[in-house]
Amino acid sequence: MALVSLSGLGKTFPSGTRALGGIDLDIREGEFLSLLGPSGCGKSTVLRLIAGLVPPSEGSVARMAGLEGAMGFVFQEPTLMPWTSVLKNVMLPMRLSRVPRAEAEGRALEALARVGLKGFEGAYPRELSGGMKMRVSIARALAARPRLLLLDEPFAALDEITRFRLNDDLRRLWREAGWTVVFVTHSVFESVYLSTRIAVMTGRPGRIAAVRDIDLDPERNADTRTSPAFGAEVRRLQADLAAAMGDGL
Amino acid sequence: MGLGRLLGAAAPVIVGVFFVAGWEALVRIGQIPVYILPGPILIAQTLVADWGTLWPSLVVTLKITFAALGVATVGGVALALLFASSRWVERALFPYAVILQVTPLVAIAPLLLIYITDVNVALLVCAWIVAFFPVLSNTTLGLRSADPGLLELFRLYGAGPWSTLFLLRLPSALPYFLGGLRIAGGLALIGAVVAEFTAGTGGTASGLAFRILEAGYRLNIPRMFAALFLISGAGIAIFAGLGLVSRLVLGRWHDSAIDRDA
Repeated sequence: MALVSLSGLGKTFPSGTRALGGIDLDIREGEFLSLLGPSGCGKSTVLRLIAGLVPPSEGSVARMAGLEGAMGFVFQEPTLMPWTSVLKNVMLPMRLSRVPRAEAEGRALEALARVGLKGFEGAYPRELSGGMKMRVSIARALAARPRLLLLDEPFAALDEITRFRLNDDLRRLWREAGWTVVFVTHSVFESVYLSTRIAVMTGRPGRIAAVRDIDLDPERNADTRTSPAFGAEVRRLQADLAAAMGDGL
Repeated sequence: MGLGRLLGAAAPVIVGVFFVAGWEALVRIGQIPVYILPGPILIAQTLVADWGTLWPSLVVTLKITFAALGVATVGGVALALLFASSRWVERALFPYAVILQVTPLVAIAPLLLIYITDVNVALLVCAWIVAFFPVLSNTTLGLRSADPGLLELFRLYGAGPWSTLFLLRLPSALPYFLGGLRIAGGLALIGAVVAEFTAGTGGTASGLAFRILEAGYRLNIPRMFAALFLISGAGIAIFAGLGLVSRLVLGRWHDSAIDRDA
């Protein structure tokens, strides 16, 4: 059974802009699904509909029982509270869902260690680099132990070196923890590298043009990025994207 | 600490020394009579000699100033919370807050002195009227400026209105509130002094403005200057004190409190 099931999903904003129309998509338990598409195609809106941050105008979002409150969200910006320490920031979701303080602190420290920020618990967000802030943001989502992790172009503002490293970290964490990930990106390479499945989206109004399984060795590293199999997947997706854009215009 | 910063700190002191020395020289060389312009040395001597009269007056003025600032802070923040909780309340009440702010205090003060029999209360109300607006408008702005991403995060994790207020909106508003407080501190003092002037010598209060009026009637110009010096000094102390509070509270997290050169 699907973790989240989107059927006939559409969204029209109060301004009259029709952002999405007729989205049908099942999110399977345990998969790493990427939503790939150009800017403004409504990828982020899909993510926010899944999270329940905005209500749909048409269609429905069916979530598996118990999923509410078990979703983590990582935004494009780190969105940290500047007035408090890294540790307190990571503890925030647990504080809001009334996890006992001692347990929350233990889980926060563990999550920070997993994203490679051990020793930075007491630092303030402004003292960290962009990549480190994003790691804190991911640790905050991880510490709450989500069943479904939603990421909205989390690495778009980072340099390539940092982005590659965070890609590896994210994939490793996903394989270790076994949660389900929905990842929004406009990078073909990033989506192929990370995902088990990719939904190609096209805009105005946003809809899904193609869905493709990525058939690569689950053990991915720097060599994967230059392997012929990786190249073939990228080419297929670029063709999907070009076809989608072609009939979108 | 570099030479540049040392010079930066010394520059206003140097200007001040030249100004005071020039003033004293002008008075002595030009043989200007004391009742027209007293020199700074005479003013300092007056300040010491009349301390017994001036100090209690300073205390009276400061009491009104701080009471007004306290009431303005509590009232301004409370009203800001009300405004932030409902657009309708804000729309209904904000124009009246603006009217209070834009009507010159000197024009309202005589009326307030007629209707409020206790002069101290009237003075307090006058000072409060000018001091509360910056606290109100800044805090309202701050409460509305919470990061929209964080607001969504709070919603996603099921935060109630109180958690959102205490953990997100109030901390977001803090830098704005402290900025408003610094303005309000100076305005409370101005409000207290203006109200004392309006109450005039007929009032029972004996603040610094009263001393200035009294000294003016007696042509005791050096004492007028001494009282003026105390008012300015009090204003500077209030501004610096609130600035220090702001830096201590915002500490490590806010850009305004961080020394860029450090």
